[in-house]
Amino acid sequence: MSSYSRGIMSNTEWRSPAGRFIKYFCLAVLVLAGIFVIFPFVFSFTAGLQSSIDVVKPGIHLFPAKPLWNNYLDAWRRFSMIKMFKNTFVAAGGGVLLQILVSALAAYSLSRLNPIGKNVIRAAILITMAIPGICYLIPRYILMTNLPLIHVSLVNSFWGLWIPYACNSFMILVLTNTFEQIPKELFEAAQVDGAGEGYMFFKIAIPLSSSIILILGLLAFIGLWGDFLWPYLILRNSDLQTVSVRLYTLTRSFPINLYLAGSFIAMLPPTIASLFLARYVKGGLTF
Amino acid sequence: MNTAAVLPEAKSKPRRHINWRQQGIAYLFLLPALIIFALVTWYPIVKTIIYSFQAVNLQGFQGWVGFSNYGRMFGNPIFLTVWWNTFDYVLISLLLGSMVPVILALMINEMRRLSSIFQMLVYLPALIPVTVALIVWRAIYAPEGGILNSILKLFAIAPQLWLQNPALAKPAIIVIMTWIGAGGTTLIYMSALREIPSEIFEAAELDGFSPLQRVWYIALPLISARIQMMVVLQIILVAQVFTEPFILTSGGPANSTRSPVLEIYDTAFNRSDFGLASAWSVSMLVILAAFSIIYVWSWSRRDANKG
Repeated sequence: MSSYSRGIMSNTEWRSPAGRFIKYFCLAVLVLAGIFVIFPFVFSFTAGLQSSIDVVKPGIHLFPAKPLWNNYLDAWRRFSMIKMFKNTFVAAGGGVLLQILVSALAAYSLSRLNPIGKNVIRAAILITMAIPGICYLIPRYILMTNLPLIHVSLVNSFWGLWIPYACNSFMILVLTNTFEQIPKELFEAAQVDGAGEGYMFFKIAIPLSSSIILILGLLAFIGLWGDFLWPYLILRNSDLQTVSVRLYTLTRSFPINLYLAGSFIAMLPPTIASLFLARYVKGGLTF
Repeated sequence: MNTAAVLPEAKSKPRRHINWRQQGIAYLFLLPALIIFALVTWYPIVKTIIYSFQAVNLQGFQGWVGFSNYGRMFGNPIFLTVWWNTFDYVLISLLLGSMVPVILALMINEMRRLSSIFQMLVYLPALIPVTVALIVWRAIYAPEGGILNSILKLFAIAPQLWLQNPALAKPAIIVIMTWIGAGGTTLIYMSALREIPSEIFEAAELDGFSPLQRVWYIALPLISARIQMMVVLQIILVAQVFTEPFILTSGGPANSTRSPVLEIYDTAFNRSDFGLASAWSVSMLVILAAFSIIYVWSWSRRDANKG
């Protein structure tokens, strides 16, 4: 990228004495910020290696003389963290897939098929962006405990998460814009060859927007992975709970060193994922 | 002559023929979204407003009560406390947090090879589930034997009750929220900075602008639209703060960290007074919708600017 060749300062300026001063000043600030960012990671890691008495002992003892690696095994087994991760993956993954499918279908219709009342539907979708979800949480919860017509409760069911997760007005709007930018000639050519709308949706619209769908999906997945309040209300059964819900309830009944070890383990998958994410971050996560 | 007369007429009279097969397909594609939006947003929004005029508990509808839910809400001193708290939260977050991403973005942007490492680093907290981060922060803030007080002791600063002192609890929570949220905003500002053509900075440098002047007169004005948008978004998000006080303080000490959403949650799920909770939701909806409309408007304006 050409923008890397210079920032606000040019490379020559960068090497002058004044430039060097600014450079090291910025670097120092950023390193401090970095330490601030990393500190909770380091703290939970080392606290997880100590006994519960040592953790709350006054004084700085970040590096225990006798690390208790067993705490991590203990936390892993007693909190059944594999199940926790699996539940979170199923909840967030299923939510993202449904969200992409529902949003892409709607966006295809809005951008290409000219449904009657298109603008009304668009406005109705847009307005949900302006109303914070928290404002209608209660009727939504009551609805989920007793679905109309079929009278099924979705409490303790992943469907209770997937259905609300499938609703993403931001994704519909972005994908509508994306599909509108695909050249019309591509669709016309396919139509001449006798392709139906379903074929054009799966073979033209989706593949040509795959990179933006991937980024939207990643962002949605990160958001859903850490979601707390809704899963806390819906998943009452501890066998189904996601990482954020389960760890919170565990802090009430387990010693501090164990749940801090568990917290550190819970921080690892997102940290590892961020290494892969770096590729997209470099190009900017925004549109 | 003849064709010239016919053509405008044909144009002014578009064929009102509706292709029902085409419309059927269009609505078939829309159907899943329409059902889900109706179920989890449109219907609940309307229902919230209806509930706010009813007595509703776990057993369901108990009767219409007119404006009495609103009367109870305004009559309770907690109403003022909670909205005053919200005002405090927003103010502190604007003071402590809103400029952090701008400074980080400007500095990271100047780092040549290290910039991608710092970008990843500042964004990392946003990837961690909030509850997990809060569990760790709660231990860091612990009054006795907490690592923060131990570190401050090195600088001869007396230990503080970070989350138990009404004067400190809100700033302590805002620090955590900044830790979580600053990275994402930094990335957005960085992409805005990279959209600025480097020729502008080159020209300014030749004209003798110092680096600080270039930041002040060129970089900041050019990303100000983005900053304005993100600050409005920050206000909307901070006003909805819930998880932090819920996990760290349960709204205490002396309700000093109680937020509207926490009050809605307690009213609905601990006291099962859904009617009153809905009145609260409507009050929140009115206040936040105003800010949300500003946000959506500036978002679409930004889109229009981009072309």
